[in-house]
Order: sequence, then structure tokens, then C-alpha cells
Amino acid sequence: MPLTLSISIISFLVGIAVGFPLAFIRVYEKETSFLVDVYEKIFRGVPEIVLMLLFFFGLGPYLPLLFNNAFFVASFVLGLRSGANQSQIYRGAIHGVGDEQMIAGMSIGFSKWRSIWHIMVPQVFTFSTPGLGSEYALLIKDSAYVYVIGLAEVMTRAIQLKASSISEVVTPFVLAALIYIALTFPIAFWLDKWGNKRKKKIGL
Amino acid sequence: MADLVMEAKHVYKTYGRSNKKADTCIDIKQQVEAVKDVSLQIRKGDIKLIFGPSGSGKSTFLRCMAMLDIPDKGEIYLGDECLTKPGVDLNKARARIGFVFQHIYLFRHLTALSNVELALRQVLKLPKEEARKRALDALTEVKVTDCINKYPAQMSGGQAQRVGIARALVRNPDIILLDEPTSALDPELTGEVIDTLRDLAKEGTTMLIVSHEMPFAREVAEEMIFYDEGTIVETGPPSQFFNAPNTDRAKKFMTRIINRTTRE
Repeated sequence: MPLTLSISIISFLVGIAVGFPLAFIRVYEKETSFLVDVYEKIFRGVPEIVLMLLFFFGLGPYLPLLFNNAFFVASFVLGLRSGANQSQIYRGAIHGVGDEQMIAGMSIGFSKWRSIWHIMVPQVFTFSTPGLGSEYALLIKDSAYVYVIGLAEVMTRAIQLKASSISEVVTPFVLAALIYIALTFPIAFWLDKWGNKRKKKIGL
Repeated sequence: MADLVMEAKHVYKTYGRSNKKADTCIDIKQQVEAVKDVSLQIRKGDIKLIFGPSGSGKSTFLRCMAMLDIPDKGEIYLGDECLTKPGVDLNKARARIGFVFQHIYLFRHLTALSNVELALRQVLKLPKEEARKRALDALTEVKVTDCINKYPAQMSGGQAQRVGIARALVRNPDIILLDEPTSALDPELTGEVIDTLRDLAKEGTTMLIVSHEMPFAREVAEEMIFYDEGTIVETGPPSQFFNAPNTDRAKKFMTRIINRTTRE
């Protein structure tokens, strides 16, 4: 369980770090946005299980320092996948916040990127909270894939525990399911609530 | 001319407006010539008022003046600096121009005070105490001290627009451009904002205002500019427009607008 949590939290943070700039590049830097598009297509289109196997077994032997570490590969793949997803979430939010706020920022003497930083970023983040909640839930669930590259998270434990009789087979998985719900639900719920409160305040 | 604050020389701006018809998915691209060969000079202390039919390009012209829209052709001068030359630091120039929007556009995530303070802290890089003091002074000047800690969503339209005006004037800009500052407000709130503008006029603030508030125009404007179909049709003192405009188009428009005002 700590492993599930740490993988999902790290990849969520990587996702924010990657997704935020990419979303703004896609909206405001039309010349380079096709590169972002290619990246998003790959990480959103290819199943994460395939990516994990590819990086771990494919690149692991060549770049042992990085990709021989299952924890790193899992966070890396899920983080970049999340970055691609979050970029989409933020992009929608940027359009939701609206271009007028950018123009207002520039009217007081901000450059484009400072306008983005001071005015768009705080609002975009608030605007995205419902999407971010479900994205986090996705990460928690997808962290189950890491068992294929040999990390012992919730799912792996469940598989190890299973024994011969039906109830003994089912119980660990039901337990695992309950743990996943316990992990995903509170954070999504809290994010949503926080976001709604802030949105009300700023009238979005 | 030393006292020339801003000048537009033969400015042109065309933009493609797409008329998308929702049910047919037909996308008709139209070229709209919003600004056609417009020249204008504003001196220190001038109050000029642009008026004309909606959709005639007044707002686009005003945005071009602030370089929020980049003109296709022509020159914009701020003092003796040409803003339309390549390589000019537009952000620096915009910091010297106040802009008030029709739909206000306050920063929604910031309180009134932070809205006004932001440029002082981040653009002019003033120390915290000085920025706070100047922001409070500006908010006092527009008489919204009761909502300094409110978010834009919690204010009335009139309060919000006055905060918008404070945001524009707090940097002591060379000129304030106002794009229909009252047209999104109901008559009662319009009064509040007009009072604020009247105060600014008394202090000698240089202003270029797009507005249809005729009584206000008559009172404060030195020059009125009738703008239609992307160009300046007629300019003159308010008395000229209220008594006998030279052009037929201005005559027709004035008749209509005066009838409307008296009906109200």
C-alpha cells in the first residue's frame, strides 16, 4: 500500500510538472505544439502496461542506471502518461478561464508568459480540480500494473496471498478492491470539494 | 510636439471573422476591415470620446492603440516612441497605458486590492508597503474602499468597473483608454462609474473613451469623434455634434441616440 501510494503521488506530481507547461504551449505556442501533440498521442494511445514492459525490459539492459529500477520505471511511465492526460485537462481549463484574462494581464504590462504565470495558472488549477480528482484515481488504479515488472504493491500482495479454496482466492482481491477504493475516493472527494469552494469564491 | 501623449498614423486592421452556422456547419470566412486609415492625436490632458454604431471597429481601434491588437499597417506612437516598429518592448509600453474593458475583466482569483496591487508589485517592482499604499489610494479615489477584500464575483458591476478603473490608473499611466466602460452596466451603476470618470476628468487625466453616454460627453469631452465602418467620419467639439453635425451619417446617428436618451 505505501508503494501504491508513493507511485501514484510521484507520478501525479510528475504529471503536473509535465502537463501544465505542455497545456500552455499547446494553447499559446502554436509553432511547437505539434511536438506536444505527438507526445500526447503516444502516452495516451499506448497502454501503460506496454510502455512499462518496453522501458523496463527493452531499455533496462541498455540504460541500467535508470530503467533497471522498477520503481523508477513505474513512476516514469505513469508520470508521463499522467502528464499527457493532465495537459488535456488543463487545456480545457485554459479555454474555460478564457482569453480575456490573458488580455487583461497584458494590458497592465505583463508579457505573455508572466500573464500566464500570475493570472492563468491559479485559475486554471482551480478550474481543473474535478478532472484532476479522477486523474488521480486513475493513477492509483494503474499503479496495479507495476506487478508485471515485479514491484510488490497491493495487487501483487493479493496474488501472493491467494490459495486453493474459492473464498481464499476471492478474499484477497475483494480486500485489494476495498483498499483501492479507500485510496482513491477521499482524495478525489477532497479535491472536488476544495475546487468547488474556490470556484464559488471566484465565480468561475 | 512635446505634449503629444499618443498618436495613431494611418492605422489599418483587418481580421477574419468566421460566421459559423451551427446547424449547417457552413463556415463563412469574412474579412472585416475594422480600422481603415485612422489617424488621431492625443495631447496631455485631452479627453476625447469616440462614438459610433456597434460593430464599426471602435473597440478594435482602441485595442490597436494599446497594442493589444497589432495593427496590420500604420504607426502608433506613445510619446515619441514608435510602438509598431519591430523590436519594441511592448510590455513596457503597455505598462504606461491604462486600459479599461467593456466587460471589466478583473482577475477573478484576486481581491480588489490584489487586482490593483499586482502591476505595482510585479511590473513596476515597488516595495510591498508602497504598492499597498498606492493601491489603497487608487481604490479610495474611485470610492470602493468598502470592497477591497472582496473578490470580483462578490462585487456589483459598478464596483467591479471602478476597481477596473483603479487598476488602470494606479500605475500613473500616460493615458487611459476606456472601451465602453459603462455599456455592460444598468443605468444606476452607470451613474457611479460616470461619476468616477468625471472626477478623473477634473484632475486632468488624459483619456480616450469609447462611449455613448451623451450627457457625460457633452460635459467633459474636448473633442468627439464619430467613427463608422472602420474610419473617423467626423470630429469636432460636442457643441458641433449636438447642434449641427456636418455629415449626414453623424446627423442620423445623433438624432437616434438623442431620441433614445430622452425616452429614458
